[in-house]
Amino acid sequence: MKTTRRDALIQFGSGFGGLALASMLHSQVVADGYQPSPPKTDFLPRARAVIQLYMHGGPSHVDLLDPKPLLNRYHGTAPPDEVADDEKRTTHLMGSPFRFQRCGESGLEFSELQPYVSQHADDIAVVRSMFTEHRNHEQAIWMAQTGLTTAGRPTLGGWTAYGLGTENRNLPAFVALPDPGGASVDGVRNWSSGWLPPQYQGTVFRESGNPVLHLKPSITRSQSVEAARASLLRQLNEKHLTERPGNAELEARIESFELAGRMQLAATSALDLSDETESTFKMYGFDNETTKSYGKRCLMARRLIERGVRFVSLFMAGQPWDTHTNNNKGTKSCCARTDQPVGALLADLKQRGLLDSTLVLWGGEFGRTPAAENRNGKAEYGRDHHPYGFSVWMAGGGIKGGQHYGATDDFGYRSVVNRTQTADLHATILHLLGLDHETLTWHHNGRDERLTDVYDARVIESLIA
Amino acid sequence: MQSRLFKLACASFGIAAVLLCSNLSPAADEIEEKLTFERDILPIFKAKCIRCHAGVEPKAGLNLASPSSLLAGGKSGPALRIRAAEFSLMYEKISSNQMPPVGQKLTNDEKGLIRKWINEGAEGVSNAITVDRSNDLTDTEHWSFHPPERPAVPNVVSSDRVRNPIDAFVLKKLEQQGLTMAPEANPFTLIRRASIDLTGLPPSPEEAREFAASEDPHAFEKLIDQLLAQSQYGERWARHWLDVAGYADTAGILNEDRELPLTWRYRDYVIAAFNNDKPYNRFLQEQIAGDELTNYWMAYETMDRLPTDVIEGILATGFLRMAADPSRPDFKTIKNAEAQYYYPTLFDTLQIVSSATMGLTIQCARCHSHKFDPIPQVDYYRMQSVFMTAYRPDNWLPQMERRLPIASKKEREAADKKNAEVDANFKTINEELKTLKSSYSEKLFETRLLALPGEIREDVKNSINTNADARSQVQKYLVEKFGKKLRPEGAELDKALQAIEDYKTRHDELRGKLATEEKRRWLFDEVRALYDLPGEVVTPVLLRGDPLTPGPLVQPGALSAIQTPQPFQWKDPGPDAKTSGRRLAFARWLTQPEHPLTARVIVNRIWMHHFGDGLVSTPDDFGVSGASPSHPELLDWMATEFVRNGWSIKHMHRLIMSSSTWRQHSRLSAAARNKGLKIDPENRLLWRYRMRRMDAEALRDSLLEVAGTLNRKPFRSAMAIARQPSGEARVPDNEDQNLRSIYLKVKRLTPESMLEAFDRPNMSVNCTQRSVSTVSTQALTLLNSDLMIRLADAFADRILKAKPIDPVAAAVTMAFSRPATVDEMKLLTTFLEEQKVRYQMETNVGDKKLPASDAVQKALADLCHMLMSANEFVYVD
Repeated sequence: MKTTRRDALIQFGSGFGGLALASMLHSQVVADGYQPSPPKTDFLPRARAVIQLYMHGGPSHVDLLDPKPLLNRYHGTAPPDEVADDEKRTTHLMGSPFRFQRCGESGLEFSELQPYVSQHADDIAVVRSMFTEHRNHEQAIWMAQTGLTTAGRPTLGGWTAYGLGTENRNLPAFVALPDPGGASVDGVRNWSSGWLPPQYQGTVFRESGNPVLHLKPSITRSQSVEAARASLLRQLNEKHLTERPGNAELEARIESFELAGRMQLAATSALDLSDETESTFKMYGFDNETTKSYGKRCLMARRLIERGVRFVSLFMAGQPWDTHTNNNKGTKSCCARTDQPVGALLADLKQRGLLDSTLVLWGGEFGRTPAAENRNGKAEYGRDHHPYGFSVWMAGGGIKGGQHYGATDDFGYRSVVNRTQTADLHATILHLLGLDHETLTWHHNGRDERLTDVYDARVIESLIA
Repeated sequence: MQSRLFKLACASFGIAAVLLCSNLSPAADEIEEKLTFERDILPIFKAKCIRCHAGVEPKAGLNLASPSSLLAGGKSGPALRIRAAEFSLMYEKISSNQMPPVGQKLTNDEKGLIRKWINEGAEGVSNAITVDRSNDLTDTEHWSFHPPERPAVPNVVSSDRVRNPIDAFVLKKLEQQGLTMAPEANPFTLIRRASIDLTGLPPSPEEAREFAASEDPHAFEKLIDQLLAQSQYGERWARHWLDVAGYADTAGILNEDRELPLTWRYRDYVIAAFNNDKPYNRFLQEQIAGDELTNYWMAYETMDRLPTDVIEGILATGFLRMAADPSRPDFKTIKNAEAQYYYPTLFDTLQIVSSATMGLTIQCARCHSHKFDPIPQVDYYRMQSVFMTAYRPDNWLPQMERRLPIASKKEREAADKKNAEVDANFKTINEELKTLKSSYSEKLFETRLLALPGEIREDVKNSINTNADARSQVQKYLVEKFGKKLRPEGAELDKALQAIEDYKTRHDELRGKLATEEKRRWLFDEVRALYDLPGEVVTPVLLRGDPLTPGPLVQPGALSAIQTPQPFQWKDPGPDAKTSGRRLAFARWLTQPEHPLTARVIVNRIWMHHFGDGLVSTPDDFGVSGASPSHPELLDWMATEFVRNGWSIKHMHRLIMSSSTWRQHSRLSAAARNKGLKIDPENRLLWRYRMRRMDAEALRDSLLEVAGTLNRKPFRSAMAIARQPSGEARVPDNEDQNLRSIYLKVKRLTPESMLEAFDRPNMSVNCTQRSVSTVSTQALTLLNSDLMIRLADAFADRILKAKPIDPVAAAVTMAFSRPATVDEMKLLTTFLEEQKVRYQMETNVGDKKLPASDAVQKALADLCHMLMSANEFVYVD
């Protein structure tokens, strides 16, 4: 829907503190969200930026974050009725071969697959009581990213960009870092702005070539040739504007060309890693082919956050955590690719004093079945999709680390203590950013839509420091 | 599925549901009988729950003793959702031992039974018998729920500006506010505006010059007629309709985003409908019930060939196939597939139908009665029932199987007969080929065996002919050494056989026969249609919109609050009828001349595309929470005018465009502008024309047109879009990149990058009004994309080839459809000169400077590029 300044004033006249309004007007009028002063938020914000480490496929909670001794004890036996798979897609219970260790001063448990991340146990809060509403990837991804199992809604990153704008007028508020190795499941919808205006869509930054699509032309032009072109365009547009004085939309378009020029410099410099040290590269795992790719995206994320980008989402090609056929091997390999880089990111944010203001989110769309999948041979077992109980973790940005929150039953089947719906998680994340999930709304199709939709969502206070 | 169960589900529990290890039991018996309410569950309830949850005033309104009250549930909503124990409130409460609050808890066995019973389908539970109607609104006073009445045309002061009644209505409002219309725009502005409005393409410089110079008093009317007669008109206006229909060439939802190869046929139907000015009432009837309207089944059963109108009728029902539908045959194995996949497609379809045709946000009433409009929940399901016989979520037909061949029964039978012959012949020929191959392989073997030394021939032969696992060590060795040479396989064998002349001749002959046979096969074009499926069907109200909590059954109907002279009329034709007639009954109700919404909604859309904003600025919401019309009388006058003129859309274009209102200038004197801005800053009253940015397709097409590369031919398919290594999604290099944008494939997960940048909606359901954004992505696309670089070069070449007296003047006229001004000429000529010198100074080809002609071309291309990126190009004034 086209929103004029006037509509917007009417729309947000009450309740919503003029925050999103300010950002939106800037975005529409000055283009791409120049935020001259710190955003006015509903609460005191604890985080000013988010790094989302989205784990496509659904990581196995019982192998990573939610130790289940009974599952190991009854490995190979049939599950009791209460935790028997309702779709009969699994067979016997399957224990985790990975040893869990108590880490940090808090003693928060991590499996041995995460030697680097677990070093930050005292900064991490694991939510062990997540559940979701769909057993299929796409719908569960929409739930995790957009709050409902229906397609076409804005993502968490989109809402954040809408709510807070960007701190750097030369960079977008929301940046997506897809895997150069291939698209993730559900592709562009992972950073969609849905029915929010397109300026809240995640801008894809790429590791090689043009960091942003069309940032530079594929042919090279000398600086003077380029400058003359820009000057000509400016003169044509100014003449056109003079004949139509006061037209804000034309002014915004002229400004958008200026911004495009500035973005060339800002985006190029954000992704120019030449000023990083050897030890940084090593820390992020650049010296190892397994960790290099994810490590590079983690480092890019840090650099973007440093420069005022509000929300950075990192993705992996396909859905590597979807360990249907050989869960142990698959989970191990995913950890091998990501654990060191993620550990490095946390360490790096911390040493730069950024962790306090940067919320790091780790998790996928669901967990995996505690029982073995009913499809493969005897030697190696897979785990199927599991929506009824799973884990995610958060760190930094106002999170009280060193704790786990909620619990699944003894077999990791069903979330039973402090059950946490996605809307609770979203409400908490927005709260940490200083936003109220009930008043951050957008009028669409006759309704004031919000990220948490009609859910009775609660901010999980005990997760907050 | 948005279940409000979770509201309750998220309350935190003090105690974990501890599972006792003693409870571990052997694998569930597969052949176990299904649990039933009466036998297995009711006894548990009786023992532990019914003390509170039964009787005259059961606690929390939940009565567990009656099988029909479990779905209706109590104060907190349905107690259970069929086949979804994990998401059932009852299971939530008992598994966490919240219930019963006092006394004996349920044992693990009992919990397990209840869980299993629900997941098996809750045998014995019947649909809820009532729905909550306490929130139903009954107020039907709202203006848009009553038929429009033709208002009298008002008298105005500036009667000299009144070309038709539109102007009188607009001037009346303006004069009431002390305002008046802006002067008429100059002819160059008008022809560009008219051309882009109607065809999405700018006029040629010749057309613009001719029009501006014309002294014919009817030149403008002639221009409109001429533009309306171009096929480019349909290509432009079909796109507007495809937005509200939610057009896409892929299935969406699942990541595979499966291509829907026949969808473009509906697109072409829409293009043709606009070009032929198909009456809008007929247009809607065909899209909702084209099969029933044209008697498809009768034509199918009785006629030799399907008549054209029948073919058109079934093509039109493609409208009802626009909602995202990822269904595949294997979905039958998915638990609750109807709730997870089939119903959502049906929900989206209802949203498309109601927002496109009636401008109502009916989807709210899926879960509860509409909060603002008098649309009770029951009405939603009555309207859903209209489509139920076709969609059938209980017996869904996967999307790729929902298609009709363009053929009569006779043709199909004849084809089946003929194709059976072809199949039989195929079989015979293939047998022959097989025999031929095996006999020649044998010959080949014998021949090659002879080449071996005599003493080992027999041993080798025996070894090869012995079963692999029965071979001795020596035999294995022999086979390894000679097997492949003597008995080659696959491509090796074919190669060896092809070298034998007799074999080759006979083989080619048989292959030729196969090809001839294949050509004899009788195949039909197919249509992605919607049509009724056989069998009984019921429509339950879904409590809270949830297919897993069905309520009472309803009959087909329309929205009761809409005051139509003719009610929705439908008679059940009985179970043997090929089609139920429900959709046709709905279409007739919808397109009756005095329907309060149908005509108003479409004339408002037409107005919106001519003025940038509707008379009702919420084209998708004519309900109570929508915007009030800026000119209510004008809207009603136009709605009645539209119906009186045979629902002709072209008539409305002529009327609107010939008005003084539309022909106003966007620019006016400072005094007049300041006055207008002070009194009506949003220009809702239309005291001047609203300058607008071109939409994505018009912009891309106009760029191609001005560059001289546009391929104006219609494309009978959907042009491929592929993601490039740069991340850009566009027409691949080896394909025609110069087609009009409407012919490019709309992939839900791979939107074409340029169109996406300029706000083409990424279809999830449908788009009733596009957003218009101004973001730097657009600037980057215009300045740096390969497309723009190519088009700038083409534009420059076009100018150079035409050898105009002054290339600069020619460029301006081509880009902006007007002569260049003196100032511009100076600016651009200087640029061209200086840029040429820069190229010459700065570009080296080997060790030489760039030749002057190349430098001119490059400088001119830069000039063209900047003209095409300028605001004057991108905006329609």
